[in-house]
This record gives sequence, C-alpha cells and structure tokens, in this order.
Amino acid sequence: MKKKWTQGFHLALNKIFLSILLVFFSAAAFAQTVTGKVQDAENNPVNGATVAVKGTNRATVTNATGNFSINAGRTDVLIISYVGFTTQEIPLNNRTTLSVSLARGEGRIIDEVVVTALGIRRNPRRLGYSATQVNADELVKNRTTNIGEALEGRVAGLNITPPAAGAGSSNQIRLRGQVGFAGTDNAPLLVINGIPLDQDTRNAEGAGQQRDRGDNLNNINPDDIESMTVLKGAAAAALYGVRAARGAIIITTKSGQKNQGIGVDFTSSYTASKAISYMDEIRQHEYGLGLLGVKPTTIGQAQEGQNGWGAKLDGSPAMNYDGVLRPYSSYGDNLFRFLQTGTNLTNTLGLSGGGPNGSFRASISTTEAKGIVPSNEYKRRIFNVGINHNITKKLKLQLNVNYADEDYINPPQIGTQGDGVVNFFNRTAVSVPLEAYRDHAINPATLAEWKTNSFASATGGTINNPYVPLQTGQRWQEDRNRLLGTATIRYDITDWLYAQGRFSYDRLNSFTESIIPNAIGAIVRTNSDGTYRGSYSISHTWTTDINADFLVGGSKKFGKFSVDASVGGNTLRSQFYNINESASNFTVPDLYNITNGTVKNANPLGFSRSRINSLYGLAELGWNGMLYLNFTGRNDWFSVLNPEKNSKFYPSVSGSFIFSELLKSMTWLNYGKLRASWAEVGGISGIGPFEGVLTYGINANQFSGQSLASVNGGNAPNPLIQPFTVKEKEIGLELRMLKSKLHLDIAAFDKITTDQVITLQTSSTSGYTGSKANLASLKNSGFETLAEYNVIQNKNFSWSTSWNNTYLKTKVLDVGNPSGTILLLYFNGTGNEFLGEIRYTEGMAMNQLYTKHYNRNAKGELIIVETGAARGRLTNDQSSGPLKTGFYPVGSSIPKFTGGWTNNFSYKNLSLGVFIDYKFGGTVLSSTLLNMTRQGLSKLSLQGRETGLLVEGVYQNSGLPASNIITATSSTSNLANYWADYRNYQIGDPFTFKSDFIKLRNVSLAYNFTNLLKKVAVMNFVKGLTLSASVRNVAIIHKDLPGLDPEAIQSSGDTRAGYENSSLPTTRNYNVSLNVKF
Amino acid sequence: MLNSNDMLKIFKRLIPLCAVLLFAGCDKDFENVNTNPYAINTIDPALLFAGAQRTHVGSWIAEHTIIQQYVTPYNTGANAGFSFNVNIDGNQNQKWGEYTGSIKNMIQALNILGSSTTRVNLKSMIRIWKAQVFMGLVDNYGDVPYSESGKAVSDALFFPKYDDDAAIYDDLYKELKEAIAALNPGGDYVSADLFYGANAQPSVKTSDAAAQVAKWKKLGNSLLLRLGMRYSKLNASKAQSIANEAFTGGVMTSNADNAYVKYDGTLYTTPDNAGLRSFTQYNYVSEPFVNQLKSTNDPRGKFMIALFADPGNTPADLNPDVTLANQYGAPIGKTDAELKAAPYRGARGGGLNYSQINIYKLGSPAAPEFYVTYAQTSLLLAEAAKRGWIPGGDAQAKIYYENAITADMQIYSLYPGTTPITNAEITAYINDPGVLYNSTDALKLIGIQYWIINIRDGTEAWANFRRTGFPALTPNPSSGDLGSVGFITRLTYPDVEASANRENYQKAIQAYGGDKLTGKVFWDQ
Repeated sequence: MKKKWTQGFHLALNKIFLSILLVFFSAAAFAQTVTGKVQDAENNPVNGATVAVKGTNRATVTNATGNFSINAGRTDVLIISYVGFTTQEIPLNNRTTLSVSLARGEGRIIDEVVVTALGIRRNPRRLGYSATQVNADELVKNRTTNIGEALEGRVAGLNITPPAAGAGSSNQIRLRGQVGFAGTDNAPLLVINGIPLDQDTRNAEGAGQQRDRGDNLNNINPDDIESMTVLKGAAAAALYGVRAARGAIIITTKSGQKNQGIGVDFTSSYTASKAISYMDEIRQHEYGLGLLGVKPTTIGQAQEGQNGWGAKLDGSPAMNYDGVLRPYSSYGDNLFRFLQTGTNLTNTLGLSGGGPNGSFRASISTTEAKGIVPSNEYKRRIFNVGINHNITKKLKLQLNVNYADEDYINPPQIGTQGDGVVNFFNRTAVSVPLEAYRDHAINPATLAEWKTNSFASATGGTINNPYVPLQTGQRWQEDRNRLLGTATIRYDITDWLYAQGRFSYDRLNSFTESIIPNAIGAIVRTNSDGTYRGSYSISHTWTTDINADFLVGGSKKFGKFSVDASVGGNTLRSQFYNINESASNFTVPDLYNITNGTVKNANPLGFSRSRINSLYGLAELGWNGMLYLNFTGRNDWFSVLNPEKNSKFYPSVSGSFIFSELLKSMTWLNYGKLRASWAEVGGISGIGPFEGVLTYGINANQFSGQSLASVNGGNAPNPLIQPFTVKEKEIGLELRMLKSKLHLDIAAFDKITTDQVITLQTSSTSGYTGSKANLASLKNSGFETLAEYNVIQNKNFSWSTSWNNTYLKTKVLDVGNPSGTILLLYFNGTGNEFLGEIRYTEGMAMNQLYTKHYNRNAKGELIIVETGAARGRLTNDQSSGPLKTGFYPVGSSIPKFTGGWTNNFSYKNLSLGVFIDYKFGGTVLSSTLLNMTRQGLSKLSLQGRETGLLVEGVYQNSGLPASNIITATSSTSNLANYWADYRNYQIGDPFTFKSDFIKLRNVSLAYNFTNLLKKVAVMNFVKGLTLSASVRNVAIIHKDLPGLDPEAIQSSGDTRAGYENSSLPTTRNYNVSLNVKF
Repeated sequence: MLNSNDMLKIFKRLIPLCAVLLFAGCDKDFENVNTNPYAINTIDPALLFAGAQRTHVGSWIAEHTIIQQYVTPYNTGANAGFSFNVNIDGNQNQKWGEYTGSIKNMIQALNILGSSTTRVNLKSMIRIWKAQVFMGLVDNYGDVPYSESGKAVSDALFFPKYDDDAAIYDDLYKELKEAIAALNPGGDYVSADLFYGANAQPSVKTSDAAAQVAKWKKLGNSLLLRLGMRYSKLNASKAQSIANEAFTGGVMTSNADNAYVKYDGTLYTTPDNAGLRSFTQYNYVSEPFVNQLKSTNDPRGKFMIALFADPGNTPADLNPDVTLANQYGAPIGKTDAELKAAPYRGARGGGLNYSQINIYKLGSPAAPEFYVTYAQTSLLLAEAAKRGWIPGGDAQAKIYYENAITADMQIYSLYPGTTPITNAEITAYINDPGVLYNSTDALKLIGIQYWIINIRDGTEAWANFRRTGFPALTPNPSSGDLGSVGFITRLTYPDVEASANRENYQKAIQAYGGDKLTGKVFWDQ
C-alpha cells in the first residue's frame, strides 16, 4: 500500500526507489541532457511520472508542468511510467527533446517499491498489510527539531503527541494504540539503516524535578532521510518477532543514488518560537496576594506567597516578600514575561556523488537551539555517510554511518509539584512584579533563596523562584554521543538467488552532570553540621548493541506462479554500563565536585547484558500478478528468560488480491486491491536482565563502623516470566480511480495484547510490593482511512489534497486481578495537590480518568454541610480508599479520532502547503485550573469575593435549602477552604475537559528559483535553489480546555496520560529555510 | 496451504542449521550471560540483621499527634488536619513500612540461616527483634498479617492473611520465651549487632558472646515485660504472670542495657527528624505537653522544645529561645488561621508564635534513636510493683519511678550539643510537687512520665496511653472521622491494602466494623 501527499512528492519517492533498483544494472555512457514533457491523452501535464534510462540507474520524475530533464546517451531507451497509465519505452534515436503522451492503462504500479521489515524492498501490490511511506520532503517542509513531531497528523494509525517540554524534547509515538499498560515500551520499533532500536523516550513521566531529554529520533537529521516507511500492524512488522508488537518505523538515510557526478546541497533553516498564552481565559487580575481578603502588610504575610485570596487590587502600597512596599496592582502574566523567544538554527551540508560502480553521500549538520525557558539549550551535530559500492557485478557493499553528538542543557523541569517555572508562576499572584523576583531572588541576609511563598523551607521547596537557578548557576547537562553503523555485503549467487550478511553497531555514550547550588527552594544556606547545602552529581552511561544477521533470498517464476522466499538469522547482543556519583554537604561553598562533598554517594556499577538470537523466514506465493500469499515465521531465543523456557515462535500470514485485474472493463477503476493479514508477535519490554534471582545490597556508608545490608528491590523475582503476546488481524482495501487522480485506502484492524508483563501488586506485608507476572489483556481496534485527490493539475497550477483519519477504540479486557481495575496513579488524600486517578478498568477504554463528582441527592441537588465550621460547604460522605466507590470514570485520555488534512498548491515556481490536524474524543483533567482556583488565582475563584458565596443545595441533615454564605474573610471557613474541598474531596466536575482540538498546524510557502537561475548564464552552476517560509501552530481552530493548549502536556509517556499540570506553554514557530544545490 | 504449525515444523528443522551458520547453539552461554557478575548473590545474614536494626519506621505526624505531643495546625494541604482526627492514609500507613523494611530483611536472614545451629545467638536475636517489630504493628493496627507475612520469596505467598491480634501476641510471647531460652553464652558472638556488638556505642557495646547474650536476655525480658503489661486492662492475672516471668528472667538494669542506635547526622540521619526541617511552619509542640514541662520545670525541656525567631524557618535560628517559661504549645484543634488571630498568640515570622521541637537536640538529624530503654522498663516495673504484681509495693515502685526519671535525664547527654543534666536538677525535679511519687497518684504519675520519656517513641507512648488512660488528655473538640469527640484508638490499614490484598483486607476489617480509627486493639477492650 502506498500513501501520497501529492503526486509530485509521491513519485519523487518512486524515483529514489527506482534508482535503487537500477543501481544494480550496468550503466551506459551518457553524453547529453534530454528534456521533454509528459502529458496525458487530454494534453494535461502528468506531474510525477517516472522517467528512467533503461539499463541504468538514472531516473527522474516530471514536475508539475510535466517537464523533465535527464542525462542519457543518444541510443538509450527511456522508460516512462506512471500509476494508472501504460508504461512506455521510447528509444531516443539521437533526439534530445521529446514529447510523450501516456495512455491510460491497466494501472500497474510495478515500479513502486517499499522498504519492508528487515529492509527487504517489495512491490506494494504484493503486500497483505499496511505499509505507509512517508514523504520525506513533506517532513522537511514542517521543520521541527525532532523529526517525530513533524509526523503528527500525517499518517493514519500513527498518533504523535509532542509534549511541551523544551528544546530537543521527545514525542509520544503510538501506532494503532497503546500496546500495553504504562510501563510497557509502547513506541514503535525504529529501524535506522537496518539497526533496530527502541525510541527510548527520556521523558518527564512523573512528579517533581524531571526533565525531558529527547528520544532516539533526535539522532537523525531530517535532511538525511531518504525514506521512511511506517509498518503499522503486527503482520507488517512480524519479522521483527519479539520487537514487533508495537509496529515499526523504517528509516533509511541517503547514500547518493539520486545524483550522478558530484553534487553539493546546502540547507539552512532558522526557526523562532514564541510561547502562546491562553492564560487570559482563566487568570484573574482583580485580587492580589494575600489570605482572608487581606492585603499583606508584614513580610510574614507576604511570604505566604502562593495565594491570591488577598484584597481587591487598588494600587496602594503592599508589602512584598523582600520587605519592599510596591503598589498593589496586577503586573501581568509573569510566566509569559519570563519566557523568551526560542530559536533554532540548523545547517546541513551534503556532498554526494555516484559513478557506474556505486555512489555515496556524506553530510554534516549542526543545530543550535534555545528553548523558551532561559538557559535551556539543545545542540546537535550529526555526521552521516552512506556508501554503495559494487565490488564486482555480483558483490555489493553498502555502508551507513550516522554519528550524533547532542547536548541537552538545562531541559526545563516540568510536571507536578516541580521546581519548574510554570509551577511557580501559575501559583503566585499577579500583584508581585516579575522584576521583584528577578532583582530579589537571593536574600542578602542568608545568601540563599528569598522566601517567596510558604512552600519554601530550610531544606527545599516546591514552588521556587526560577531566577534563583539562573542567578546561582544551577546546571543540568547531558552530552550524548551515538554512533550507528551498518555494513552490508550482498552476493548475487545466481540471477534468482542472493545471500546477504550485515553487521551493525550501535554505541551510546552519555555523560550527565547536575549542579544544584543550595537545595532547590531552600531558604537556608547551611546544613545543621555547618556544611553548605546543594548537590552535585555525575553519571556516565555507555551502551553497546551489536546486531549481526544474514539473509538468503531468492525468487523464481513457474508459469503464472511466482515464489519468493528468504531465510535468515540475527543475533542481538546488548550491554549497558553506568557509573554515577553524587555529593552534598559541601565544605567549600560554591564549589561543586565530588571530593568537596562531605556526604558522597558512590553507587554500584550499573550493569546489564542480554542476548536475543533469532531465526526467521518468509515465503511469498504469487499467481498471475494478481494474487499473493505471504508467510513469515520467526523464532527468538532470550537470555533473560528461564533457560527451561527461553524460546518463542512468531508467525504471520497475509494475502493480497488485485481484483482490478479482473475488472478491466471498468475503466474508471485503475487499481483495486483487497488485503488481509494475521500475525502473532511479542514484546519483551518489562523483563530485564538478572531479574530472576534475589540479590543483596550493602549500604554505601558504614553505620558507626558497621556494614549494613538489605535485600535489593521491592519486587519478588519471578523466574517464570515470559514475553507478552500481540495478535493482530487486519483487512484493507485500496482503490485508484478517475485516472488515478483519486486514491482511497482503508484499513480495519483488531489487535489483542495478552499476557502483559505487569508488576502484580502484592501486599507489602509479603515483604515485597510486587512481582512481575504475565497478566492482563487489552484490545486496540480501529479504522484508518486515507483519501487523496489531485483536484487540479494544469500547466501552471496544481492543487492536491489529502485527508487521513484514524478511529481508534481501546478496551481493557482483563486486568489480572479480581477487582477488575488497576489503579495506575492517584492523587487524593495522600497529600498531593492534584486531582483524580488513572485506572485500567475491565470493559473500559484504556487510560481511564476518574474523579469524584459533586455529592448530590436523588433529586440531583447538591448536599451541603449543615453543622460545624464547614457549614455551607460541599460534603464528602462518599467512601474513601482505593476501592472508593465515589470515584467515577470521566473519560479516557486517548483520543478516539485523529487525523490531518493536507493541501498543496503550486503556481509556477511557487508552492503553498496548508496543513490542518485534529484530535477528538480524549479527556483531560486540568490541575492548573484546580490549583489556581484553590489558591485564589483563577477567574473561577472570583465568585463571592465581596459578597460571599452561597452554594446552592440542600442541607445534609434537615434537607432544607442551604443558606449559609461562605466569605473570603472567615478564619474558620472561607472561600479558600471551599475550593480546597474540591481537591480534598477529589471533585473533578469543574476541572474535567475534552482534550479535543483542531489546529491550523502548518502553513508553508516555498519559491523555487531554479528555473529563474537557469536563465542567467553565470548562475548555471546552481542546480537548484529554493527559499521557503513556514509557520507551525498557526492557530487553534477549536479547543475545550481553558487556559491552555490541550497539547500542553508534560510527558510523552503513558503514566500521567490525561493529567495536565505545569507543563510549558506550546509555541508558535516561524521558520525560514534556504536550500541550494550545486 | 501452510499454516502456522507447518511453519513451526519447518522452523524446528531449521534450528540445527542456525547452530552451524551463526551461533553454535541458539541459547548457548545464556545462563552465564544472564548472571550479573557485579551483584551480591549471597550475604552474611548478620549484615541483613544489622540493616534491619537500623531500620525504624516512624514519624512525628501520626502517633505523636494522637497523644498530643506534637501538632500540625495546618488546615489544608498535605496533612489536611491530622490533628482533626481525619483518616489520612499518608499519616496512618507509616509504620506499615516495617513489612518491606526490617521484617523483609529479618525474614530473609532467617531463610538463609535455616536450621543452622552454629549461629543460634544470631537467630535468637532476630526472633526477639522481630517480636518487637510485630508488637508495634499490632499495637498500632490490631489484626495484621503475621504468620503468612514476609514469605513472597520463600513461599511465593503474595497475599498474606490477617491474624487475630490476640493470637499474634500469644505467638510473640512464645517467640520471646523460646528465643531468650535459646540464647547461649558459649555460642556465636554477633559482631554486627548494632545494639551491643563490636560497633555499638561505647556505653553498651560488648566484645564477647557471654556479655552480648546477657544484654539480649535483658532486652528480651524487657520486651516480655512490655508485652505482659499490655494485658493489664484485658486480663490482669495474665499481665501479672508474664510481668513476673520477665522480672524473674532479668530485665534491663541500667542505661548500659539500652537498645538504641546513634546517628551521625551526616551519612545517616535520624529518620523521624528529617521532616522537622522542611516546611517548619507546620511543626509545633502541643499545648498539654508544653504545659506539663513548664509546670514541673522539667530540665529535659530545654533539649526538647524551643521557640524560634521564625517558626517558618527554624534552621535559620541557631540559638532559639529554650527558656521554659517562654514556651507555649499550640492549642489542640485550632487551625492555623484561628491561631493567627486573637485570642491566640498570632503569627511569628512565616509561622505561628508557638514552640517547636528543638531541631538541634531532640529533633537533631544526629539524635540517637531509642528503641527499648531502661527508663521505659523501670517505669513498667514501677507500675507492676504498685499493682503488686512484682515484689516491693509502693516503696519499690517509688525507687523504680525515680530510677526511670534519672535514667531518662541521663540519656540526654547522648544528644548533640547537650550538657549533662546535673544530679541537683534531677533531685529537684523528682521532688517537684507535680512529680514526687505518692501512692494515691502513682499510676497517674507513672503514666505521665511514660508519656514524657516516650517523646521519642510515639507507638509506645500511644499504646500506654490507651492501656492506662494516662496522661488524662482532653480530646480534640473536632471529631473528624471519629464520629464523636474522642481519641483515635487504632490506625487504619494503608489504602493500598484494600486493593493489593483485597480479600484478606475485607475479612480483617470486619473485626472493626470497617477500617475505622475507632476500632480497638484486643488489649484495649
């Protein structure tokens, strides 16, 4: 199956793959440039037709006006092909210009090739499953630092969720839903030049001080990508066996097949990012800092800090935390005054070349990005080389090396109760100016953080002035170096049989360093023993993954029958080391190294190693170019499993039926294919090396001279654990109609995960809080549609449009315990600031959010407290505890509908892209709004400030209408208490929203100067020049969540799905790019 | 057509091929690969025991608040009104941590020891100490998992049943008796023993098995005395009999017998005190406790409590006011907002104008952690003598009572930055009219002292309060989740047990008519 954004780009890809095919043929000498024009029978230009020189690896595609230009010898034969038209072979016979008229044909797509599992290139008509090619040019048009983000909304079945987490952050990537409960590696397998690797999101999953540190897609420079194939289903990825459960994204980087001779291409791209504020929707600017309706008059009152329950702002002098009197007025939204414009400058220089025996491309790219949070930077240098060489006619060598050097500098701290900027500014009143926080961050009396709120304390706080880390040199930095290298040797034994060997090497070196001067948020500089507070830590990780594999494949035709078969094997050897040390309680102030600390933590060497050995095979039976059956099987052997049971077999079967071959009389139908597949694959995520046995730890420090030991780990080992299993069925239909102008592709799938590797929650009284077990099952099913239409294709103007949509339904089938529900996260009376729970509950969608509702009687009236101090406030007589019946499901965080609508217009040399994407059907709990409300900072909290609030309802005991008014000023029961009840009782009604959005995601405008330059003789050395400008996150057309972009979530993980809290704002990005080819 | 079984057959035939082609065995060497060369796979169980001795789970926010030594007047937020008798999981479940801490490690140590006879003393010490830990769990929660607990690794028993609290006490009695009897002066010396072993504090350490065993026998019998006295309300004759056995067996006779560990405040900090230095505006000493210290001019007071320049930032004040006359405890049942206004003492800095735990002495990160002391034991003896369960009557009870006070005063010299309390101060205190032993008020006086002495051991102070009714505290006027004004009489189980160990939890809470703070432990009937 094939998906196109525009015909032009579609066939640009064809060109690439055709070139790959043709590179194996001998090259003829060439002498001249042949130009021409391709039209259909009605004399409309054919945009994107492939023009190839027969018997060579040279090919090109026609442009929007149907014109092409190619180097060819006088006696060469050109092959001109286009989907839905009859392929023509035209001998040049000394001509250097020609005009070709293509006749509508049987709709062969014989020249298309997609890269499938194990890097095997196959004709899409033979595939019985969904494999979508992503147009690399389209991704480059949507410039994002991480290529994953540009994929959002582009591919049916692929759901990308970028967190708002700073420069170089990760993305959540889910193919056809979430394959397992949180904790499972749910992101698709990435296969980069044949090297399988996990996405490895280093995200900000939890509470506190986490930082998002990107993912493995950051290792790839978007300008180096030659092709990207999304293998959506289990059948498509089945040959990856135990790594196939989540689908796969196959990325191949360039190796120069495109060009003949020597070519240079240079791309420069500059992006400016502005934080987008929706805070005016929720933030109040009428009342200032304070409690009980009182303006602060003492420093102590001012240092309560985080509340906006003060007096009405009147510009009169008010005390501030630093002892300075300032007008009691709104100083605006400090967060957006604090944030800066983010920038990203990326330059890529590529050199490519190719001769009769091979080709190469080498590139270097540099990225310098600054985040919207001051001090946050991301720097990247990528060096990429691809070489193809035909040693002999039969022996071919391919080499790919990608080296990425990344620096993550001060990734912002985001999420719950964090030290980050958002938590501080969202939870402080508008009546303190940003300049105060900036100029009086450090208390001159203590040389530590000035106490700005009651959460600041001697040992540290949770709402911390973000100027303190800036001014004291707090630093967190990671230097990551990753080398991905693959060498492939292929030998064509006969014309129908080949053997291939491949060795790949994946080496990561990561060094992180953290300096925290003083404890974060601490208002005292020294410890009780007189040493200086603060901490310093360093961590060095290095990992090696070695894959070695072989593949023997052949194909034969027997009359109308064809057989393709391959067998192969792979060994994966992984090794991990980590050293980390930390120190605190420093002797010399402001000096951060290990020896200066009087308390040192030298941790044991982190080490793990594992192996997976595999054997696999595939067989394809074809009949008459119309019917294909495919079988694959893979057996994996695992070192991490019990030696008694360490082998698993993963089969798949799929078929395709090109029924249009039988319907040639229906001229409107150019191509029609039905496909179906079934596969069983697995996942080993959750089963680590050495987990099957109990080990012990010895405390790093002796206690009064005595060594102490303890049992390691909170989980009791389970020596019987096995990988989880995914079984998926899929059917699909693909149609090309109306002269192939209309392309439709639909797919329906049903995917069941069983025997998940989950940590069975055990009673802690067993001594252990959990034990891994194969439990629980879930189902993802869905419907994917793609419609593409070339609306207009004229000489000067073209318009193509493409719409993809995914409907995803998730269902928890079994949670593996009798209660029928698993509590993933809860923020109730245990002391967290936040709201609700996330559960997996049998029969419901995944990632189900729960809150309590208002306590109502049978008539639906609110039940109000009748006696005691809380008279007039909400009641909470619903039962409590994790089995609390009072919690109700309010929706799943996973959107049901996702999709995108692409429009590409071109007029002569100008092209315009407009991209709209959307998500619908998800739920989000807004802790920002809850916190701001209970702290008196939101508009919602303005109710009853002056006159008091009457909560309408009936009294709990008497049933009489409630009449007690809650005032802002009562010391025993006030509005702050009223709103705190929402959190204490977990009443989610005012804070539950849909995460739906429709966004005008991207508008891009490009002008291609190439034709203009050709008219200027001195500029002829320039082969191409394109200037483009784009805006990303142009506008939100629709949303429900107030105050925030629904995509302003903090994590690309699954644990905190649906909890919104203290993430960064999203940004609007303005980009200009220049691409020059010589 | 091929189906997956056929594929499987084909693959089975291909397996020998792979051996030749690639791997020399598809899983050769896997066991070796999956063994961590850096991990500790075997351990001396004595080190696990030492680790368990150091592990103590407690905090200022639960038991100490119930018995009105400590109070958090904060009305909202993390501790939302513990002082208002609200059932807050985070406060109730602290002690439950023993299961994954000391119990887990002691049971694994016993698993390793198996039926070893060469390390009988180590084994006996573990049994005694395990009994102490479980006694605390029963005292706090009532029925708890006991017979099936700690067996996840040895028996794959993940969901232990809850045992009847009285039955657990019966078994603890048996365990203590057997373990004390098994201690062998000629047996193994447990050098790793944190209480009395080679690295114990100078005042208590031993260097041979005979001396160590002697101390452990005293510790065992002192625990037996504690266990016996718990029956005083339920079954006086049983209490008398066990107390007598313990007394006869030989209990602690001086501070040199105390079971405690000493923190250095840097590499290891006193766990309970860690919270006192953060968000200090929430941490206060309660009014009844301060009044008790003030009314008797208690010389321990200056080490226990202090008035800081800014209660919102106690570490900034290195020399807080410790003069007893200047101390005020926070009234029970009042919110911070109320206390900031008249008629109360109002705000002070970023907190309230009330006394707090002295974070440089009693509340220091380098404070010793006392588990079982001579002072506690001597007070129990005083009560037993007063009741006539052991010989000596009032005369002997007075001696035990005064010995306890003296011993407790003397151990304050182990706190950082303290000067020894002088004999003159001790004598003056003992003769203070509010302290001086008299036959009529003996049980009350003993109870008050037990309350003061156990400022470091909330579980023990609270258990004794429920058993004896002393000190006579006024309940918090806010009933919270109690239903009516009164005292919390048991802690609720951790919320997580309700889901993680559902069936057993449901059975267990039936004994209390639901998992309520008003349920009663068996000896508190």
